[in-house]
Amino acid sequence: MLTADLVRPRLRLRGSELSIDMLDEHDPSWLQTAQDLVALLQGHTGQSQAAWDRALESYIGERVDYVVVRGLAKVLADAATFTPLATPLPPAQLRERLFSHGPVFTTPHLFHPQARYEVLESVADELRISSEQAEAALFADRPATYLLADAGPAWTPAGLIARYNLELARGVLYWASHITIEVSSNYKDLWKFIKLFKLMFWAEPKQGGGYRLDLDGPISPFVSSTLRYGRQLAAFLPALFLCEQWRMQAYVYPPQGRGEMLYRLDHTSSLHSHFKRSGEFDSRLEADFAREFEQKVGGKRGHWQLTRESEVLLLADTVMVPDFVLIDTHDENRRILIELVGFWHPQYLRRKVEKVRAANCAHLLLLVYEGLKITEEAFQDVASEVIFFKQKPVLKEVMKTVEEMADRVYGPSAKRKRKSVKNP
Amino acid sequence: MSKSVYYLGGTLVLHDVDEGERPPAPFKLIRERWRCEGYHYGTLQPYLREQDVRDTVPRWQPLNLKMQEMREPHDYQVAALAAWDEAGRRGSIVLPTGAGKTFVAIQAINRVNRSTVVVAPTIDLLHQWYARLVNAFATEVGVYYGGEKKVLPLTVTTYHSAGDLVAEYGNAFKLIIFDEVHHLPAPSWGEAALMAPAPLRLGLTATYPEEHEQTQGRWRVDDLIGPIVYTKRIEELVGQQLAHYRTQRLRIDLSAEERARYDADYALYIDFVRSRQLPQRHGPSWLLELMRLSATDPQARRALLARQRLLQLLGGCEGKFTALDALLHEYASERVLIFTEHNAVVYDIARRHLVPAITHETGAAERKQILDGFQTGHYRVIVTSRVLNEGIDVPEAKIAIVLGGTSGAREYIQRLGRVLRKVENRQAALFEVIARKTIEESKSQRRRRRQEADSAYG
Repeated sequence: MLTADLVRPRLRLRGSELSIDMLDEHDPSWLQTAQDLVALLQGHTGQSQAAWDRALESYIGERVDYVVVRGLAKVLADAATFTPLATPLPPAQLRERLFSHGPVFTTPHLFHPQARYEVLESVADELRISSEQAEAALFADRPATYLLADAGPAWTPAGLIARYNLELARGVLYWASHITIEVSSNYKDLWKFIKLFKLMFWAEPKQGGGYRLDLDGPISPFVSSTLRYGRQLAAFLPALFLCEQWRMQAYVYPPQGRGEMLYRLDHTSSLHSHFKRSGEFDSRLEADFAREFEQKVGGKRGHWQLTRESEVLLLADTVMVPDFVLIDTHDENRRILIELVGFWHPQYLRRKVEKVRAANCAHLLLLVYEGLKITEEAFQDVASEVIFFKQKPVLKEVMKTVEEMADRVYGPSAKRKRKSVKNP
Repeated sequence: MSKSVYYLGGTLVLHDVDEGERPPAPFKLIRERWRCEGYHYGTLQPYLREQDVRDTVPRWQPLNLKMQEMREPHDYQVAALAAWDEAGRRGSIVLPTGAGKTFVAIQAINRVNRSTVVVAPTIDLLHQWYARLVNAFATEVGVYYGGEKKVLPLTVTTYHSAGDLVAEYGNAFKLIIFDEVHHLPAPSWGEAALMAPAPLRLGLTATYPEEHEQTQGRWRVDDLIGPIVYTKRIEELVGQQLAHYRTQRLRIDLSAEERARYDADYALYIDFVRSRQLPQRHGPSWLLELMRLSATDPQARRALLARQRLLQLLGGCEGKFTALDALLHEYASERVLIFTEHNAVVYDIARRHLVPAITHETGAAERKQILDGFQTGHYRVIVTSRVLNEGIDVPEAKIAIVLGGTSGAREYIQRLGRVLRKVENRQAALFEVIARKTIEESKSQRRRRRQEADSAYG
């Protein structure tokens, strides 16, 4: 991530709105700079970090846009790998031995009968290494002497500029006390990243679908406008770009002063995420279930449509995102949620059961793997339906239960009888 | 399900306590749960016990420490600790500088003998605490700051990093100690104290904030740490032995080639500063203005680069190395401290003369090892870019060599009094090496005038 000094000069303040002076991904001169930097770093493979820093400063020369160039270079260097030179013994050990002879001088002297090269040679001899090795190892643990082992991904100039722009947007959030998000898709990744970055959220369903989320940290309600979670919010930001329809509003206290300002972003932004979207299915079990459903009862064969994770059960300070939602194509209000409880760690399972109980949700169907050694009693006071299975859920049994549940929760379906005659 | 309380990132949260139950005051119903700041943990004990709330907060452990420190505490230190005990081991002790606050803290840790975190204002002070604690208890001590993050039952951190440490590991410490506790009211520095559930708290300072200073910040020290439990004023202590040392300035000449480069860059820099009248227009912040201008104005950019080049030249000019060479020869049997603010120059000298270096890159353990080695005579010379505060730990230094006229050097010289303790009747000496006819001379001049003014009061 960019350091604050590389972000601050790019902020633009107007009224109570804050924006960023982003780089145009099509500007030929910036594309040229980006390309130069990529080539410069690649050319330094095998050389020290200090050498790269010097090369960069000399490339920048007298340019007044050095804040941007350093920013681009920071993005590059962050994605690259610098590793310490392998040394025959830990540098600190070598220093301890060698420095006990200091101070030494280039020529011998009354109190220092041994010149520098003689001391170096004799200590190197004792350690059974060459004096060149000793010289190289002396400060090999300093980051400045680390060598560029890998210049990182194959950047295109436009790709580097795009990533730099994203890092600027993240940088704004260093000074954010909290953010609010409106979002209507791909929750699963969102919750995953909220958890990963140890943020707290408060979600409310929005009219017309989707949710409105407040994002901050545990101490926020007690310390108004704390910037404690700024770094976590910044780290989290790219997760938003994985969603399709969203709007974000950040409450920012820029270092230039002036108090609280707003920074807004939405899905029309040209920024994109480098985070990986999680795979479609978390497990084999889910994938198999979805495939079997499509083969046997999906499409025109039935009136249920199987969708992935489009609903969220809000449970106080946490959420549950069921694996599947079955939607009745005749009446879209008729929905049954399905959660597959497969081969999980007992700790995870305990939390899951607790969540299911808290959800108190009659239209949730749990498909539980028997081998989990979880007894039926564990689910006794749960409002949801539970079906146990040995190898894989029996689809016929599942669909039968789904129909029963739908009738119980939503009342009998008018069209169902006719349909089921049509589809033997 | 049974009621319980758990620790979450600096807050205490009640589990399975309904909205209607109304737990005591600090708890607020936020996001469907009763929550409060961590520091209330101590005072909430009666409620937790009476209501049979399962307490999952404490993760602290016995330290099983053995005091290695054989020094006997002074009477006032004993009295301060007794007062702190009396107050339920919560509150601040106010002692003058040099009256052994660290020693009091070590005694407190020894009494409590449970996981403890010490919060210090700067990284240099963190390192000093680290060394003192390792020596006092002969145990491994954790450090948590930007450069190193290792959390152990006895850990030292800085105000800057304490918030992150407490958010993650707050409930791992039963005792939290704030060095220079008057920093707490500062906007974000008090957050760690607010978040930490540690029921035992100790604040240390020489200057406790006045009532109006406390309320200016976001929080009151009394609320977060407890009241002042003991105060000793400086008049009540026997006068501290101040160091006596002589200062000698050595002027060196730039080589012809260095001089040419210096003059060219100086002209480039000073002409711009003068033509824009930066000091006249912007006062003390004129340098910031120059930096700001350099992002838009090519001339300002050239001036700033010229300034950087000339500072670099002064830091590493050959004459200084020659002078250093001569001084090291001259004081061949003395312990010598070399100071320069330029990091690269520190490592250059370390490599040239094969002497240990202490910079911001040096970790706590190696730093301690170097200072210990200096004391025992394993090392004779240390080169550093850090202000070594450890007056007590490096009494052996008799000679200090300061290269350069930078602002860091100024701070360094001001603090040298603590390092160059008078041992027997041998006087310590401070050599300040500056380049003739450069900006260093004028800086050094200004400093000398100030020092003379200072000593008039002493």
